[in-house]
Amino acid sequence: MSAEPLLRVENLVKHFHVRLGAFGEKAATVYALDDVSLDIQEGETLSLVGESGCGKSTTGFTILNLHRASGGKVIYKGQDLTRLDEKHMRPFRRDLQIVFQDPYSTLNPRMTVGEAVGEPILFHKLATKTELKDRIATLLSDVGLPARFASRYPHELSGGQRQRVVIARALACQPKFIVCDEAISALDVSIQAQIINLLLDLQEKYRLTYLFIAHDLAVVRHISTRVGVMYLGRLAELAPRDALFQTPLHPYTKALLSAVPETDPERERNRKRQILQGDVPSPLNPPSGCRFHTRCPIAMEVCSKVVPEWKAARPGHLVACHAINSDLS
Amino acid sequence: MTLVQTNPAMADEEPPVSLWRDAWHRLKRNKLAIFGLGIVLLLAFAAIFGPYLTPYDFLSQDLAARNQAPSFAHLFGTDDLGRDVFSRVVYGTRTAFLVAIVVTVIALAIGTTLGAIAGFFGDPYDRLIMWLTDMTMSVPNLLLVVVINASLKTPIARWMEAQYMATLNPFYRETIWIDFLLVFGSMALISWPPYARLVRAQVLSIRSRPYITAAMALGLSNRIIMTRYVVPNALGPLIVSVSAGLGTAMVLESAFSFLGVGVNPPTPSWGNMIADGLRVWQHYPHLLAAPAAVLGLASVAFSFLGDGLNDALNPRGTK
Repeated sequence: MSAEPLLRVENLVKHFHVRLGAFGEKAATVYALDDVSLDIQEGETLSLVGESGCGKSTTGFTILNLHRASGGKVIYKGQDLTRLDEKHMRPFRRDLQIVFQDPYSTLNPRMTVGEAVGEPILFHKLATKTELKDRIATLLSDVGLPARFASRYPHELSGGQRQRVVIARALACQPKFIVCDEAISALDVSIQAQIINLLLDLQEKYRLTYLFIAHDLAVVRHISTRVGVMYLGRLAELAPRDALFQTPLHPYTKALLSAVPETDPERERNRKRQILQGDVPSPLNPPSGCRFHTRCPIAMEVCSKVVPEWKAARPGHLVACHAINSDLS
Repeated sequence: MTLVQTNPAMADEEPPVSLWRDAWHRLKRNKLAIFGLGIVLLLAFAAIFGPYLTPYDFLSQDLAARNQAPSFAHLFGTDDLGRDVFSRVVYGTRTAFLVAIVVTVIALAIGTTLGAIAGFFGDPYDRLIMWLTDMTMSVPNLLLVVVINASLKTPIARWMEAQYMATLNPFYRETIWIDFLLVFGSMALISWPPYARLVRAQVLSIRSRPYITAAMALGLSNRIIMTRYVVPNALGPLIVSVSAGLGTAMVLESAFSFLGVGVNPPTPSWGNMIADGLRVWQHYPHLLAAPAAVLGLASVAFSFLGDGLNDALNPRGTK
């Protein structure tokens, strides 16, 4: 992990200001993302997992400047993206793409597949008008769709085909980095496998880097290089895939992994489940100190007072937990 | 990577169905809407070519044949000056369409521009424009039109007269232009707020759709997002509202002409024909019935067409 990362996220913060009450009379802040730091290496797949509302998607959106960051930096090619306005962000948009959860709602219903895929090509002047048709055909075949689909409309396609179109549209920009925001969650299980294989094939072919946002741990285990676990807007643990799945350190990661069922009935019977007490606290009013301390089985006094440091417990294995950190020192 | 899984059923080439074509198919199945469309097309035809096809001129008087009942020679009879009522109704169609289209186009231009600015750029433009919209809507329509007519008609007519005296250009003798100018102007002035509100609501709702975020993520410019993503998706409800608006404008024009603040005689308008007919309806009911029936038919046709378009363009709202 010594190589210069493709993208560096430093202390990223995102707060949403909302108004509550029947008449919006109460102002409140959603602490969606607090102090998240991570490096993304070229060619890797970094997965983010966690429960709904823990800030996984917000991380992806904020990195791409689709949400304005409330603090921190996102450094790409020596430039802090969070400081750029939309106009100066535009050249970077080509390199940094996103595939959304629901392909149908992210395709313009009035545009054919060919128009949707061709739009970014023409706008970023990646091909001339005469080359455009061939380029669209190539992109469609890249994602496993026949060229004649170019004249179809989104409502004529199946969910899997639509997601392929969305992937082709992202590829049209010739990106280096793609955020896959729950890109397979809305699809049938059989289609999920196809799309995952497609993403892996494309990664190899075009040397893509993925930030893969998901909550399906089996999928994450299959495709990731490294995995980050988020809880209530903070990163709890970040480690290479095998290290995280085999020797998780953070108590939240342990609880999360213990919830994954085993395929072998013998092992499933003997599986020890660690069930967390209570619900995830509201991000409107997150707990002090370590955000997990209200539900943590090994919480100590210090946990409710001091925010745990984001530290490497082992080389490349970062964790934010007082129990682990005190063991180290 | 050669993953081309093709569903054999989909291998046959079938023409892609655009949403517009889809809407047309749904519209065709709606009998009332097709009836409305037929009437509208017939009236449009009458408005464009009718005056050249009718056997009589709408102004030529035949005092020997006054107040005749409908016959083959005079389909809708003749009026108190011996003018052919059918020819006048046909010419009235032209007046009605001219007013409806011009007023709707002006109102649409004002409303769409203001609504789009309010919806896309938000406060403070939004607040200002919505304030203007509410204020315009709060003014009683009829009162405004009467005030405009009463206060502007005489000065403009006097100015036109002076211009004619100075230039002898026959253009300035055509008082019909004053009528049209005042009718168009005052009606457009009261007709734009609904369009502004509709467009604003459309832009607001479309702006938050995921495909707009997707377009932004692709790095497309605001102009392209506006013209290629927002406008085409906002068009459906706008078309429905324009179709209904054309009918409303025709009724409004007739109402103003009926009250004598719209198009003035001798230019035929359904409204002033109804006003003329109303005075003698007990003796010559056809003078009232003919223009009133055509006005009613036009109004009904436009609302059927509007309803049909609504069902066809916004299919989720129906069964």
